Amino acid sequence: MKFAWLLVASILASAGAWAQGNGPAMPPAPEAASVAERVYSAARPRLLQIRTLVIAADRQSTIGSGFLVSADGLAITNYHVVSQYALEPSTYRLEYAAADHSRGEVRLLAIDVANDLALVRVDHKDQPFFEFDERAVHGEVPKGERLYSMGNPLDLGFTIVEGTYNGLVDRSYNERIHFSGAINPGMSGGPTVTADGHVVGINVAKQLGGELVSFLVPARFAATLLASAPADGPPDLTQIKTEIGRQLTVWQEGLYKALGDAAFRGVTFGPYKAPESAAPWFTCWAQTNAGQVPKPRASSNTTNCGSDTQVYVASDLNTGSVRLSHSYFSSIDLNRFQFATFVAQQNPAQWLLGFNWSRKWHTQQRCHEDFVSGSPTDGRPTLRALWCARAYREFEGLYDVWVMTITQDRGTEALVSRLSLQGVTYPNAIAFGKRFIEAVQWKP
Amino acid sequence: MEAVVWIEVVSRARDVVARHRCAGPEIRVGRAYDNDVVLDDPYVAPHHLRIHRSENGGWIAEDLGSANGLFLDHTRDRFGWAEIDGDRLMRIGHTYLRLRESDHAVAPERPDQPRSHGLLPVLAGLGGAVIALEVGSSWLAETTEPKLSPYLYSVLVVTVFIGTWTAIWSVLTRIFSGQARFERNLLIALVGMLIYGLYREFVAFAGFSLSLNELATYQYVGVWSLLAAVCFLHLRVVSPARPRLKAGLVVALLAAGIGVQLLNQSELRTGFDRQGMALHLLPPEFRLVPLQTEDTFFADIEALKAKLDHDRTEPPSSGLSGSIAITKQ
Repeated sequence: MKFAWLLVASILASAGAWAQGNGPAMPPAPEAASVAERVYSAARPRLLQIRTLVIAADRQSTIGSGFLVSADGLAITNYHVVSQYALEPSTYRLEYAAADHSRGEVRLLAIDVANDLALVRVDHKDQPFFEFDERAVHGEVPKGERLYSMGNPLDLGFTIVEGTYNGLVDRSYNERIHFSGAINPGMSGGPTVTADGHVVGINVAKQLGGELVSFLVPARFAATLLASAPADGPPDLTQIKTEIGRQLTVWQEGLYKALGDAAFRGVTFGPYKAPESAAPWFTCWAQTNAGQVPKPRASSNTTNCGSDTQVYVASDLNTGSVRLSHSYFSSIDLNRFQFATFVAQQNPAQWLLGFNWSRKWHTQQRCHEDFVSGSPTDGRPTLRALWCARAYREFEGLYDVWVMTITQDRGTEALVSRLSLQGVTYPNAIAFGKRFIEAVQWKP
Repeated sequence: MEAVVWIEVVSRARDVVARHRCAGPEIRVGRAYDNDVVLDDPYVAPHHLRIHRSENGGWIAEDLGSANGLFLDHTRDRFGWAEIDGDRLMRIGHTYLRLRESDHAVAPERPDQPRSHGLLPVLAGLGGAVIALEVGSSWLAETTEPKLSPYLYSVLVVTVFIGTWTAIWSVLTRIFSGQARFERNLLIALVGMLIYGLYREFVAFAGFSLSLNELATYQYVGVWSLLAAVCFLHLRVVSPARPRLKAGLVVALLAAGIGVQLLNQSELRTGFDRQGMALHLLPPEFRLVPLQTEDTFFADIEALKAKLDHDRTEPPSSGLSGSIAITKQ
């Protein structure tokens, strides 16, 4: 799935990602309009725009939103709104702008990378502030309830948008609320509230290619972050990468525990049985070359499964995805040599490249390949196995790993299985990779 | 009666360009028409040289006051006069001369070598092998609609390449040793091409059968060595003289080629240690290395972690550390 994080980096660059929404599809009833009016007038002094400025130019580089959660100036926003500053504090600084046009310094207190939240302190004290909705914290908001999302979209000024609560997203590992309303870039970090002004979620992303499909971080994560806030005094930003690495490590432990608990489902490909994770947050798509013209000389059937587990770390680094893919190739009129070449060609470098490589974030990829003997008793064919991995420079103990296996028991048929794991510890990668390889079997 | 002597005008490569028969106790050389030997070299004086008998029966060359002078044996020392014999080269202006007496000893007759028609079947066989290899490897890699033109095209490219290569060396051979020796040069080119084709196939084979992907990474070392060897053999055909100089030249070419490519490889930061990530596959029965058990495979993968952790400690922007990381793999 393609998400757009709702941060305005450059209005031109994000223009393609704008949603088309003009408010709710139904014409609002008169009393509903007055509710929005009331919600906004109460919320107005509690809203903030959070701006990241390039110190050297003293101009904004990105903008997002935020909201006050205490009388002494604590505010919640998205991690991705402050990530530039958090990662490069010597190049960027943060500033807030309130609805009364006051501006001032923003200090970063705590982050929750996996849930894309940040807690900051602003010099905007003794203002009214938002409270979290009790029902939302306990997940008791009914589907269809009208919600009001606020923020400063595209730097146009504070805005209120009506929409509907649609429960938690089914296929998302990270809990996200599905909000049917037009959230636009710049509203990231803004609150989405009930009619009585209590925060249900924090604006975070919208689906590209969808209409009014937006996502919120559930309020309970913000409440937890607020409760665990450090006494005061900003954290040591030189240690922030260590902290991000620690949070990602904790997060992936949970993910791989859940993946480990979810069984593999055997899917049949010709004479083989290939593993697909039964975890609910995987979406699979199939592809075939059957209809190609000229007629292909070997048939190819591919299934790609991707998990909806991406985590934003920086504008040039997302991590956390898990992908599985199987391709079954069978010769139509190719000889054994030609078929081997065909299989090699169908596995282009791009797959092993997997994700973008950046010298800044990753070490060079290293690979190991070998022939791994099967086990006739377990029904496992001999495999040519290739394992490639690279380490994260900034996050000790986290790696990106690719695994590919090609069955070696037949000359004109082959099952190619691929696995890619992003931001995983080495033991988790080995455990999951091993389970994956062992699940490539003959059809019983 | 004075004996006949010959004044020979010699090229830089010591081939005789012109020969003048002279008699008399004294031979005059220069650009003017009253000389015994008239030279067309504009750097020679009208009356440049006088050659005459010395008291002990040898010959003496004497500079008649020219501006550019008289030099001997490729040296830079200018002589007012010098004793010469049949082997000493004189240089006046840009012309090399030597004096040969009629009793100068010549080498015995060389037995006539039959023209090397014997090479023709060998050349035809080699040519056939090169083309068969080219066509065969294209056929084994053909995975789309079969078409004839790619085969013909590759045959044409190989033929034109070998033809051009051989022609260039034949022209060089002709310039330096008078004979083109086309067949000999063609033989070298064909053998080189055949070895190249076999080497290429071997690297692909080893990548799969022996799990030796490093061979593909450093394939260029073999290619440069082959090119250097082929050039050396061609140079020997051009002329057998100075084998050490020629060996030095091709080794320098080899070192430069490998060095530049290695540098390029180390500076090319793609994020991979695997050459182009190309996957070489052959039918399963071509595997030669023993099968690993799953446990050994995962033990090797465990071992990869230490390398990755070491990579982390290296700064991301240092120029040559990448190459060290590559070679350590």
